[in-house]
Amino acid sequence: MAQIPRSREGSKRAADDDQGVDDLVLRVAVTVLVVAFASWMALSLVVVLGRIRYDRRTRRPGSTALTSATAARLVRRVRAHPRTEWGRWRRVTALQRLERAHHPAVPQLVRVVLDDEDPRIAAAAIRTLGDMADDWAIDILIDALRRGHGSRSRIAAELEALAPAPGLRLVPLLRDWDPAVRFWGATLLRPYPGVADSTLIELTWDADPNVRAAVVETLGSRSGSAVGTALVARLDDGEWFVRVHAARAAGHVVGAEAAPSLVRLLADERWWVRTAAKDALRGLNADAIPSLLSVLAHEDLFARNGAAEVLQDIGFVDFLVLDNPRSPLLERIYAAGGERFRAAAEARIEGAIEQGVVAA
Amino acid sequence: MSPLTLVVLGCFAYLVFINIVAIVFLVVGAIENSVRHHEEGSADYETLGASRFTIPVSVIVGAYDEGPVIEATVSSFLAFDYPEFEVVVVNDGSTDDTLERLREAFDLAPYEVFVRHVFPTQPVKGIYRSATHPNLIVVDKENGGKADAWNAALNVARYRYVCGVDADTVFDSTALLQVMRFPMSDPARVIGVTSQIATAAEPEKVLAQPPGKRRIDHSLLGVYQHLDFVRAFINNRLAWSRWGFMLCSPGGFQIWRRDVLEEVGGYSTTFTCEDIELTFRIHEKFRREGRDYAIHCLPDTVGVTEAPDVVGKLVSQRERWQRVINETVVHYRRMWFNPRYGAVGMVGAPFYLLTEVISPAVEVIGWAALLAAVFVGDFEWQVFVVVLCAMAFTNAALTAGAVLLDDMQSRLYRVRDLARILFLAPLDMVFYRPIITWARLKGSWGFLRGNKAWNKFERNARAPA
Repeated sequence: MAQIPRSREGSKRAADDDQGVDDLVLRVAVTVLVVAFASWMALSLVVVLGRIRYDRRTRRPGSTALTSATAARLVRRVRAHPRTEWGRWRRVTALQRLERAHHPAVPQLVRVVLDDEDPRIAAAAIRTLGDMADDWAIDILIDALRRGHGSRSRIAAELEALAPAPGLRLVPLLRDWDPAVRFWGATLLRPYPGVADSTLIELTWDADPNVRAAVVETLGSRSGSAVGTALVARLDDGEWFVRVHAARAAGHVVGAEAAPSLVRLLADERWWVRTAAKDALRGLNADAIPSLLSVLAHEDLFARNGAAEVLQDIGFVDFLVLDNPRSPLLERIYAAGGERFRAAAEARIEGAIEQGVVAA
Repeated sequence: MSPLTLVVLGCFAYLVFINIVAIVFLVVGAIENSVRHHEEGSADYETLGASRFTIPVSVIVGAYDEGPVIEATVSSFLAFDYPEFEVVVVNDGSTDDTLERLREAFDLAPYEVFVRHVFPTQPVKGIYRSATHPNLIVVDKENGGKADAWNAALNVARYRYVCGVDADTVFDSTALLQVMRFPMSDPARVIGVTSQIATAAEPEKVLAQPPGKRRIDHSLLGVYQHLDFVRAFINNRLAWSRWGFMLCSPGGFQIWRRDVLEEVGGYSTTFTCEDIELTFRIHEKFRREGRDYAIHCLPDTVGVTEAPDVVGKLVSQRERWQRVINETVVHYRRMWFNPRYGAVGMVGAPFYLLTEVISPAVEVIGWAALLAAVFVGDFEWQVFVVVLCAMAFTNAALTAGAVLLDDMQSRLYRVRDLARILFLAPLDMVFYRPIITWARLKGSWGFLRGNKAWNKFERNARAPA
């Protein structure tokens, strides 16, 4: 391609331009190099020196005692209402330092932090309350649970871990207007057998399904015919997750008598209910066998499969294979479980026999 | 001004822009790191670890020819300090002794478990339960790739949250607790979480050392891979997390709410790799539907994954990563600069496009043009040297920033190891970057050719126990 010849002046200007670009790139690159080199050096030194300082500090932990001036500064910091995230976290750090020093203002200050609109800050206050494990901390935590300050599951975890158990102080929560509070009240009462049983039984008819589920779960740790009746009634609850909890609880409380009802749930429309029913029937062990055998020819495939799976898991299939591998009962179970079920059972027994031979 | 000079200036401007973005991300990452550090200080793991209010988790792992490492990794999963969890290992048609080793190590016996087939997978050959660990289930199936294996595990998994892990990664016993505290604090909104993972040629040895005494691999390849991972997590993902476009939950460790996985159809088997694509897909769906959600990345180092110990394996791995990035970013091109997708569309997806998809080509063109320009006399050779040094030290400064934030958060490694990697950081441009650029170019070429092979590399050789 023909090029337009440049004049001498044009060529000189082009050469000057190129030189200018060269100089510009060089200047920018040198500036970047100097800044980057200095930053690398500075940051590297901060890493190494900071780490050495940290290691020294952790080897010789300092005293938690505070001077009065420091304590006053920290109290002011906790009472302040910082707008920035950074400031809010400094507030938490200040509270934690005061708590470690057992400062008398902590009970009052922790309430202030608990009211922070940021749930993470409130969670830090909950942790502080849990660390203190004082009797009054329980009241603050229960109050926070009621008002919804901070994560309720977090509050519940701290309440349950507290050394002085909240016990009876939880009972009023069952009558709260807020279903979330009733839910947590019922959930937290689980480790206290005999406490508020009649109220819990009443709440199995609560309008809120979450409350019903929590109540049913808690009643699973109780005993008695009234509890059992209430639980069996909930096996037909309209909400699937209530039926899940009811299946597990009924298996535990009612025992073998619940097996026919539980077996019915093997054909539930919800997968998780069927899974819970299998878990409950497994827990009943040999007591569940008659009921399980009765559904081996159920019209629902999942029910048949589920019954066969539970019979396998409780060891009944292995027993039959060893005892009488050609028994019609075993064939019925195989028919309910399918070919892979049969293959697994045979392989399992074969492996067990081999192991036995090796051991012998 | 000659065309060559224009190309050099264009590439130079690109590099300056990319580094400015990196500095901004580092600053935002520092803020996020600081917040997480404070949160960590307030976390009550002792109480949570014993509480029945923690949310149960299904740990799922796909294993294909992982015989040498499978026992150590599954043992590390089973050692999680967490109230209720199960481990579902899927032997994805391994051709080695993976299943045999699992059988021996965990006393497995065949059982039939009837499950819902929510996600279609290759046929399952058998299911095993452990006599020694009731919470371990092993699924033996025909080979279908990692995504298929994870889908098979999802069919068996019982719990509300699912933690996908790699079979070559070992974890701290507190990993689940550290990460699950986020979903527990806001289960309605937090649908996914991931956390930092370190690298080592032999992860189980590194993890056996206590925090503060851990070593960083001595080989140059080990050092630079370590720095690469720290940069990726601290300099990028923390900032993405803070700004709401955490676009890559790595396959080595990712927790998802199970119902979300069911909603989006599980892991995709049509992409080379499943992790980044799934994260993009979830963002795309939730943003399109205007739903409130959060996907977080935490700075805590929760585990150590096996790093390739030779250049060939590294190239193979990074080539695959580049391919899947290109596949995903191009597939979700409707999100690029699309305000409907918020920060994901306006910042996250374009960032991937500019820094991951086109950067290998720009880097190579830039350096080649600069060399050519020096050769033809457009630039003096001093310019080349100074630009090279400037880039090397900019990179080193960003790396030092990442190492600083990482150490402030975790205090895991020995001081002398930290000093060594910081000293070596500027040489990344000479020893490591060319390898990675080459691998990424290969990956881009493979993407253009439609290659979707996994390119699994052999596990590192280990000294006999």
